[in-house]
Amino acid sequence: MDNNQRFSDRPTSLPPPFPGQNRMSLPVSLHSTKLVVRPLPSLPVEIIATILDYVPVSTLMRCARASKKLKEMAYDDSRWVNKLVAMGVWNEGEARRRFEDALKKKRIAQAKLAEEERRRRAASIGASVEPRKSIGMGDTLFDVNEHEAKANGSIAAVAKLAQDVELMNLSTQPDSRVPVREKPKLVGVDTSDPTLTVLSDVRSARGFARQEYGRVYAALWPYYIDLVSARNHADPVVFRRYRQPEDQAVMLRQLGVFSESDSSLGWAERSSRLNSMSSIFENAVLREFEGGYEESDYDERMKRYANVLILLNGGQGAIDLFVAKHYLMFERERLGNPMDCFTNLHSADLSMEPARQFFAQLSEAVNEQSSIIDRIFPPDVDVMIPFLERIGEDVIGEYISPLLEECHDRDIESYLKCVTDIYFSVVQFSKSIRPAKGSEKNFTEEITKIVVRIFEPHYDTYLQEELDHFRRLCEEEVETWEKKITDEYTATESFYLSNINRQADKIDFLASFKKVILMPVNAIPLPPMKQINLGFPLPLPMNPFMRPKPVVTAPPSITDAPADNPYEITPDVTDTQVHDNGAPPTPMSDGRVTPQPQTAPTTELAAKAAILNTRMEGIRTLFSIELALDLVHKAKAALERAGCFVRFQGRIGEEAKEQCEQIFICLINILGQRHVKSGFDKAVNHLSQYNPRELSTAEEDEQVIVKPLVQFMELVNVGDLIQQMLDVFYEQELVAHKLTDKNDFLNPAIKEKKRFEQMLDERVAAGLNTGIDVLIKEVDYVFAKTQKPTDYNPGIVGDLGFPTDVGPSDAARKVVSLVASHTKLLVGSTDKNVLDVFNQEVGMRLWSSICKHLKIQRISIDGAIVLISDINHYTQFIIKLRNSGLTQYYNALRELVQIYLIDPQHAKQMAAVIADGTRFKGIFTVEEVYEFVTRRSDWYQIKKDVEKAMYGFGCSVM
Amino acid sequence: MSQITLLSSDNVEMKVDKEVAERSILIKNMLEDVGETPDQAIPIPNVNEGVLRKVIEWCEHHRNDPPPPADEDSDSRKKSTDIEEWDQKFMQVDQEMLFEIILAANYLDIKPLLDVGCKTVANMIKGKSPEEIRKTFNIQNDFTPEEEDQIRRENEWAEDR
Repeated sequence: MDNNQRFSDRPTSLPPPFPGQNRMSLPVSLHSTKLVVRPLPSLPVEIIATILDYVPVSTLMRCARASKKLKEMAYDDSRWVNKLVAMGVWNEGEARRRFEDALKKKRIAQAKLAEEERRRRAASIGASVEPRKSIGMGDTLFDVNEHEAKANGSIAAVAKLAQDVELMNLSTQPDSRVPVREKPKLVGVDTSDPTLTVLSDVRSARGFARQEYGRVYAALWPYYIDLVSARNHADPVVFRRYRQPEDQAVMLRQLGVFSESDSSLGWAERSSRLNSMSSIFENAVLREFEGGYEESDYDERMKRYANVLILLNGGQGAIDLFVAKHYLMFERERLGNPMDCFTNLHSADLSMEPARQFFAQLSEAVNEQSSIIDRIFPPDVDVMIPFLERIGEDVIGEYISPLLEECHDRDIESYLKCVTDIYFSVVQFSKSIRPAKGSEKNFTEEITKIVVRIFEPHYDTYLQEELDHFRRLCEEEVETWEKKITDEYTATESFYLSNINRQADKIDFLASFKKVILMPVNAIPLPPMKQINLGFPLPLPMNPFMRPKPVVTAPPSITDAPADNPYEITPDVTDTQVHDNGAPPTPMSDGRVTPQPQTAPTTELAAKAAILNTRMEGIRTLFSIELALDLVHKAKAALERAGCFVRFQGRIGEEAKEQCEQIFICLINILGQRHVKSGFDKAVNHLSQYNPRELSTAEEDEQVIVKPLVQFMELVNVGDLIQQMLDVFYEQELVAHKLTDKNDFLNPAIKEKKRFEQMLDERVAAGLNTGIDVLIKEVDYVFAKTQKPTDYNPGIVGDLGFPTDVGPSDAARKVVSLVASHTKLLVGSTDKNVLDVFNQEVGMRLWSSICKHLKIQRISIDGAIVLISDINHYTQFIIKLRNSGLTQYYNALRELVQIYLIDPQHAKQMAAVIADGTRFKGIFTVEEVYEFVTRRSDWYQIKKDVEKAMYGFGCSVM
Repeated sequence: MSQITLLSSDNVEMKVDKEVAERSILIKNMLEDVGETPDQAIPIPNVNEGVLRKVIEWCEHHRNDPPPPADEDSDSRKKSTDIEEWDQKFMQVDQEMLFEIILAANYLDIKPLLDVGCKTVANMIKGKSPEEIRKTFNIQNDFTPEEEDQIRRENEWAEDR
């Protein structure tokens, strides 16, 4: 292209305007809007509109004078609304309200017109007019069809009216409305000068945006253009016209806002010049402000210049400077060194006293600062929060980080305590802060956010450590216990069986447990800060009872606890006497009763646990309820510490929650898998190895017991207790504190809990299975040992005397008491269904044992009396079990043994009984009955007759 | 790099890189519709040789420009950045050519070029009198002198003092 002419060189004389009509005759191009006309092109309107976007306002207004079309474009309301929007002074809500008001007035006016029209028509036409289609509509809608011609006229009139209304609205009552946007208060500013308030006086009204912008433009543009072309900061008119720094600040602020609406070419440069001018001004004011700070001239100099800065740009600079200059930011050490908390150089002994002092001093300093803030800053500026943010970050953060790190390096246990201690200190500190006047309503929320931020770098490590520590602790504890048990295993052979109602005991125990679990483990320090007693003394020796408890406050309800418990420790017994009073009188087999006087405050629960424990002595080698209790308590302590962080919103809270669930899962795993499961396994193992013949101790006892089974039953009891304990723990600690969602079946904590319960059930079932085997073995053994051949066949030794007493034989008595004592043990300790199944199984097995036993006895008619009373004895026992299936079997047996009563003469009837397959409801087959009959002592004498009768009879039936 | 041929309104063929031609959204969409590089010349019926060459020159120079941001209605100030130096030089043509370029850019749908053109025109009319503006845009004064005066008075606030 050879055309390098400059525009300025372009000849001013242009060809005559191209006639508009000719455009239409040109062939329509692919793009309908595009028209290329030679020799001189003209631009389509939308391009001209785009061009107008780029021209300065002054040129735009001249364009408006060029032609009607251009005027329309230049006057387009949305163009001006956009400018007002860019300045942030357009209020859409206000505009809409104005518009709607105008519309309403218009409608009322319209309705009035229509009404008038109708009346006039009605008057002139009268009744002869055909009925209207819809009379009701006339009230609100103008019937265009009927009144078309007149309507045009009246609509125009209405439009004019509306415009008048709108103008009136604008001119007469602009300030009667409540301003939606809060206008900045102009303190210390000459508000009588309209230029200084021009921006806040802008009204949002559709159709008047140009006028409104015009006012702003007229007021600010000269200063603006003068300022951006000024060479130095002394030059601009705005600084010469306004001498007060307050006024200057307001003007600069307005110009800054105004520059937002400047969108013509070159705005970027203008804007940046304005900004640099503003910052020169701001820096000058800040210097003044700082000077005031150094002289501690709060009420005069600082207050004034803070106000100037607020007028200029919200005062962020002043706030930053004010916050940054506070002496605490550089002289943190004055409040204390975090290392002071360590009482000696290397150990982890912590004293919270220095930290408490630190926070107390800090709180004092902050509150002092708060009143200074009130003196300097107007109440609509919030300085407190930025100040606290810095305090949190620079002072508290710098203080606790080294403390926690050091603590972490030294000892985890004290680290964990330290974190929560510090947390509570910080929370308390945050509560002690007095909000300044300028603080928003959400001051507390903001402070909480700051607290969260302080702990943000720590909580991750903390939660992880808490979990790890808990796991380690539990494992150690269980291991120690296991080791000890193995050591003592051989020594502890004595078993203890109690016939005390277990269910009552357990309910009692659980009630206490629940009470205790509701109490906080950590005594949360309340103002005034007192000695923080976190957690309980650790690590504990294996104290069989009297677990020292951190619970310092006993609930008053404790006195309402069941009074029938002689061992109950009332809370007011606080001295060492507790141990004398509270220790169960039952001596511990190994004499490990070692009261610890220094752990004075014990609770009901500990005592009950001890009582229970003595009763559970038999299973001491398998698992320990003490241990379980201990672990649960450790879990509770861990949960309570970690629970602090759950209160935080968002990510931290979520993670803390998760970690709490993890702690619970860990508890279940260690308690369940490691402790209870291995205990059960051991017990089942014992059971299966049991051989009654090897032990002859119970021979002479009236009370026959199968020790491993008893032991196992106890175990089931304790297992059940532990499970219920965990359940209570889960409900109270996790669900009640909203640490977990109970209804979320995918929740790992719930899944783990279910697994534990399942595991327990399986163990119980397996154990019971083995237990039944053992029990029946014992029954067989008892049969073999105690059933004398003369019992059922008194004549055999030649002593023909009648049986001295009619009643069940020794063997039967022993068997029943044996079985009964064991089935009783289970009552209340397992699920009802499990119990039923167990009873049924025991009954069945006993039944077949009896049958088997019968089949090796010789029974005479005299002996049959004894036998029948034996069987009755068994049946009575079975009936007590309330199991209809079993009762049937025993009834059948009862009926069966009557065949031993039949006189040998009546072989035929005997045969009939044998052959009657339906007689025993199918429980005994004909062959079996026959087998029983062969046990008659006179069988060989009557065999022939019976068989003859039987087969003969049988044939005839067939 | 495949080339395509463009045919100006006065039947001059011009070979141009496909990439360059695709600065024009019109051509780009057309090529996409066709699917493959056409053998025949693409007619550009509204643009004559001189203007087309000028437009291609611009496209060559801006062939590697990033695509303009998609959001059209973003802050109007964002659009009105100053004209870069090369474009200023490029636009130093007589008014007829300038308008032709704008129209061609509009027709060929080359938004950045259209913007540059509009900005150039905006610079041209800055500070001009209404009469000069009329001349520039080739429009007639359809106001009565009274009407024009009325508008002037209405907008006195905008006059540079």
